[in-house]
Amino acid sequence: MTTLLELKHVSKQYGSDTKALSDISFAVKEGEFVSIIGPSGAGKSTLLRCMNRMIEASSGAIIFDNADITAFRKRELKKLRTSIGMIFQHYNLVNRLSVIENVLHGRLGYKSMLAGVLGIYTEEEKKKAHAILGVLGLQEQIYKRCDQLSGGQKQRVGIARALVQNPKMLLCDEPIASLDPNASKVIMDHLAHICSTMGITVVVNLHQVDVALSYSNRIIGVNKGTIVYDGTPAGLTKDRLRGIYGAEYDELEGSGGRNAG
Amino acid sequence: MDAKLPAKPFNKSAFVIRMTLLSLAALTLVGFLTFDYKDLDLGEAVKKTGDTLGTMFLEPHAKHFTVGEAFQQVIITIGLAFLTTLFGAVIALFLALLTARNLSHPVVSLVIKGVVAFIRAVPTVLWVLIFAVAAGLGSVAAVIGMTFHSISYLVKAYSESFEELDDGVIEALRASGAGWWQIVFQAVLPSSVSYIISWTFVRFEINFAVAIAMGAAAGAGGIGYDMFMASNYYYDLREIGFITYVILGFAILLELLARGIKNKLRTNH
Repeated sequence: MTTLLELKHVSKQYGSDTKALSDISFAVKEGEFVSIIGPSGAGKSTLLRCMNRMIEASSGAIIFDNADITAFRKRELKKLRTSIGMIFQHYNLVNRLSVIENVLHGRLGYKSMLAGVLGIYTEEEKKKAHAILGVLGLQEQIYKRCDQLSGGQKQRVGIARALVQNPKMLLCDEPIASLDPNASKVIMDHLAHICSTMGITVVVNLHQVDVALSYSNRIIGVNKGTIVYDGTPAGLTKDRLRGIYGAEYDELEGSGGRNAG
Repeated sequence: MDAKLPAKPFNKSAFVIRMTLLSLAALTLVGFLTFDYKDLDLGEAVKKTGDTLGTMFLEPHAKHFTVGEAFQQVIITIGLAFLTTLFGAVIALFLALLTARNLSHPVVSLVIKGVVAFIRAVPTVLWVLIFAVAAGLGSVAAVIGMTFHSISYLVKAYSESFEELDDGVIEALRASGAGWWQIVFQAVLPSSVSYIISWTFVRFEINFAVAIAMGAAAGAGGIGYDMFMASNYYYDLREIGFITYVILGFAILLELLARGIKNKLRTNH
């Protein structure tokens, strides 16, 4: 398998002394399902957003698809972002618009300014959006307004919006943090399915260790802006988990709530 | 324990409000007791006011123009209000995009906000009179001055409704490669369209009232000018009453129209 994404000595500094990320290096292969775990404020979200340059890294190189994206200019950046889908904790849909309109927003990056402004989509794009919504089990909801959907349904719309981009990689920022266990399972199953059948690389920020353990090929543990674990789920022993979460881990264990997050 | 236990914790703002109301009540009392009434008999004055209002509103007539002409004049006034609201809304929409903090550069946003706040602080009538220096008293000055103030009012209203939009939505679209104009038309405007309609109608109502005053104060024509003539030139109380009824009728009509449009929008979306 070829390497799709590689981070080399990436650091991110806010202001003069707040370091969000320091010297992060790792590579993600095509088709991998990678989970990034770590306590709140460890820099998981910042790390994820550096990968599509929603946040600019202060130093280091980020190689995506054999090109150094840190040097990308506006046009190239736009093209890069069309090939990376993103999914959010709070879904970030336009609530007043219908499901299909929100899904088609994923095509805006491919369009001319005017076609995007007027919302003119080709038949092919609409068919693709319908097909994806069908796969995600939302064919009944296609013309509903998004504010009438449940959380799990909204997140599936978010996934559809990312998939309609034809992405090579999906970045998921806490995709199940606002969902109940059942909806969480549906979402994670969909992500795993996307990864295995479509060959799309998935990078997920997670709070739930057990979910990360059962779904990913690989786990990256982050604490205080540095990588403290990088390996298979099987190799993630209790001691190593304690290394990622610090004292917080014992509390998680003690309360019996492994889902706590 | 000697002291009574307070039912609720001491609250500074509630205390300030209570003291303000108390001192205002005291001042009102002192004011009425120390007025210089000259030889005015309060009872008679109230009665005469009642008589005047009675003449105005119970025996209205149209002497210097026909009912048809009055309607025509109101249409002119509404036209003035409509034109200035339309100009204001179109220009304000674009300025508001540059003013909304989540869509614009912070410096640009701050500069426009400052300028607009200054324009808003000066009343519309004053702006019309200022523009009258260049354009002369009349409809041109009224249109420019009222548009000017409408822009500043609507920029504030629009930009604040744009800022209501969740930053995450903008982030999501940016992350999928969408450009600024695409985000504006696909996310920002659809999310705030009902606010925009409401604020525009509020401003239209304000502009209708201002347009009447402009007819009287700045010679902009319309029903306001007839009212000015009736009160200052003919001293015809009955005609003032008639004009007031015509204006009231149209104001109610506009209100019903606005509500109809808003309801329609709500069910469509």
